Amino acid sequence: MKALEVKNIIKRFPGVLANDNINLSINKSEIYSIVGENGAGKSTLMKIIYGLYTPTSGEIYVFGKKVKINSSNDAIKLKIGMVHQEFMLIPRFSVTENIVLGHEPRKGMFFDRKVAVKEIKEISDRYGLKVDPLEKVENLPVGIQQRVEILKILRRGAEILIFDEPTAVLTPEEAEDLFKTLSFLRDSGKTIIFISHKLKEVMTISDRIAVLRRGELQGVVYKEKTNEKELARMMVGRDVVLEIPEALVKRGDTITSVRNLTVKNKRGIVGLKDVSFDVHSGEILGIAGVEGNGQSELIDALIGFIKPIGGSIFLSGKKVKLINPRNMRKRGMAYIPEDRKRRGLILPFKIKDNVIMGQHNKRPFSRNGILNDMAIESFAEKKVEEFDIRPRDIYTKAANLSGGTQQKVLLARELSINHNFILASQPTRGLDIGAMEFVYKMLIEEKKRGVAVLLVSLELSEIMGLADRILVLYEGVIIGETKPGETSEEELGLMMLGLKKKERVM
Amino acid sequence: MKIILKRLFSRRKEEYWWMTIAVPLVSILFALITGVIFIKITGRNPIRAYELLFGSSGLFPGPYWKNHFAEMLLSSSMFISTGLAFAIAAKAGLFSIGAEGQFIVGGIVAAYFGYAKPFAGLPAILHLIIVFIMAMTAGGIWGAIAGWLKAKKGIHEVITTIMLNWIALYLIEDWLVTGPMKANVATGVSGTPYISATAKLPKILPGTRLNISFIIIAAAVFFTWYFLYRTTIGFEIRAMGHTLVFGMEAPKASGVNIDRRIIQTMFISGAAASLGGSFIILGILFQYPPVFEGGYGFDGIAVALIGQNEPIGILLAGILIGALRTGATAVQLAHIPKTFPSIIEGLIVAFIALQELVRYLIIKLVVPKRSESG
Repeated sequence: MKALEVKNIIKRFPGVLANDNINLSINKSEIYSIVGENGAGKSTLMKIIYGLYTPTSGEIYVFGKKVKINSSNDAIKLKIGMVHQEFMLIPRFSVTENIVLGHEPRKGMFFDRKVAVKEIKEISDRYGLKVDPLEKVENLPVGIQQRVEILKILRRGAEILIFDEPTAVLTPEEAEDLFKTLSFLRDSGKTIIFISHKLKEVMTISDRIAVLRRGELQGVVYKEKTNEKELARMMVGRDVVLEIPEALVKRGDTITSVRNLTVKNKRGIVGLKDVSFDVHSGEILGIAGVEGNGQSELIDALIGFIKPIGGSIFLSGKKVKLINPRNMRKRGMAYIPEDRKRRGLILPFKIKDNVIMGQHNKRPFSRNGILNDMAIESFAEKKVEEFDIRPRDIYTKAANLSGGTQQKVLLARELSINHNFILASQPTRGLDIGAMEFVYKMLIEEKKRGVAVLLVSLELSEIMGLADRILVLYEGVIIGETKPGETSEEELGLMMLGLKKKERVM
Repeated sequence: MKIILKRLFSRRKEEYWWMTIAVPLVSILFALITGVIFIKITGRNPIRAYELLFGSSGLFPGPYWKNHFAEMLLSSSMFISTGLAFAIAAKAGLFSIGAEGQFIVGGIVAAYFGYAKPFAGLPAILHLIIVFIMAMTAGGIWGAIAGWLKAKKGIHEVITTIMLNWIALYLIEDWLVTGPMKANVATGVSGTPYISATAKLPKILPGTRLNISFIIIAAAVFFTWYFLYRTTIGFEIRAMGHTLVFGMEAPKASGVNIDRRIIQTMFISGAAASLGGSFIILGILFQYPPVFEGGYGFDGIAVALIGQNEPIGILLAGILIGALRTGATAVQLAHIPKTFPSIIEGLIVAFIALQELVRYLIIKLVVPKRSESG
């Protein structure tokens, strides 16, 4: 039985064809994945199904019946539910209150809390989604919050569940749990649409996989009959080298040194203790670790957002006396933040304004404090070519670019700033493989140019592939140093969990 | 010339760029329509009321147009000044409601340097320049105090600017005007002494009160635009305003000195508001009166909202509010209280505050037609 069919869906935005004649047919109780690069049209398609966009043309059938979905209310009535990337929960409300909000059980005119709690317990038992109905949502880890979201849509009777990149916010363990839940839901007769660009995940849980590229459906494949490589090729349109090419560069002088750095984070906890390391010219130093083990403290101190309570930082061989972003930048630091929307780009600014941010007060972009539009524009035009930023329109606002393109704009900016040290913090977070490949290429090129790179990443494969040396952070301390050739992902994993130590020679 | 035109128009490529213009216009239209309903309910004639209101507002030619026109521009300059003050701060993501205080600080300083002895003897141009520099510096410092408290101590600018408004008011009315700056009782003048003739703003339209204040404020509008959009500091300020929800982390990470920019922005904002205060003293009242009819600071917020925080929009919105105020007395002939234009003003702001709704209505009205045809 078909749960959901879309026929000839076209969605046109001014200047962009977001969905070009898409046909999908999704069976009842299957996990159907939709993959594609950032900006391939996955989210647009889901928003059409969920009633947030109306298609320019095309038809939608739910359980065999032709329907018109004009709002998310329509979608809910048709038993379609969506778990958004950003949760729609009220932190100060309890789990029960969040789930029943809008459809509360009543006793007379009052909210019947007892019935509500009982009801939540029932559904949570039925689907094996354990939650404490009375706990406040703000006290829950992200994985459990997501569970609350799922319960919310299940309670409203959803038969078709859409998950929009659900693992983006989860830790690997939480993701495992989610996958178990998804399989369980499928086995109990629900239909699941899973949006992602992480091929590994898709290969783990899907029954069938649809691939989108630039708004077009490239094909639908059975999981058993495909592999990651084929999917990648379908997504990007060419063979993708997921393996990172080895680049042998002779290690040069020390560019950046950190000595006995101790940092207190914003919550007043010492998150980084007595950390020392050097980064050399022509070297990528990888920092591995489970999130929350001192990475953000290290980065905040290096970029100058937090003043360390102890230790010192040396850039270009000189000790930085006053640690603030301005001084760090002056001494040749380029910074690729993990959250480009927050720390990287000014979203309402145009590409041309974003690429000069940080060097806007230098010639030729300005003279005596007055901006020189001609110079800015010709520079931006050049960068747009050089970094293959699409659209080629330098007047496009950063907010309207896809994640991968935003990262390119950011790289274009940071790499054109005079630098000899790059602080890269999860530079591929949220990117699809095509854009990942691009970021790797750039980092390797920088390394060849003799730049020192500090790569902080949660992705082990990234660190293993790129880094020349690896430091492992555990609970704010460097627990060991190793090299990709001398270790394995398993060993690194053990070190990251604090189960194995390796002496450092410094 | 071709390049300039191309630059002006080729940039406007974003979808719905015309919304910034359409939203205020539609809001004004809605406000006027709602005004009709109000007048109807009270049993008066709305057409007659609007005839009188706009007929004597100075916006359209008619009897005594010259005088109305002059009065309109005269009061607009004050609204534009406080409107700019709000908008400059708003561009940096600061919600400053301190224009009221900065306005009167500018006024009292302008009054002092207008009558005080060593200056009163100077040639007119020199005297005026000194008066303006002093008034703007004082207003700027008044704003910068709030900026400093925000940057260094993290105290929210809404709190500090409100408090500074009251501090300014009581300092001036309960101390300066009745104390050290009080005019000689024997002259029969209450408030401060009158300013010397050299400090009075030169008139530009014979037979009316219109003086150079409008020219000055028009220049200030241009300067503000230039500052915000053509200078590196303006670039940084806008970047800060755009990233307010993210704690301004992006510009900070790029090396922008946020703290310094906040103080500078508040200084310039305060200086803009103090311009209006100087205008009213040097061009209309010629002294600081014992009790000052304020409110320009708060009207400035309305002007900035209607003008969408853009300098050119504020110029137009300021003229509109000036026109409504000028036409206010005339509506009494239709047996409507002269506060009626303030109701219109309030309604415009209310509709602007409902921007999303107005936007939605406009899109509903305009866009389906477009997509059907295309």
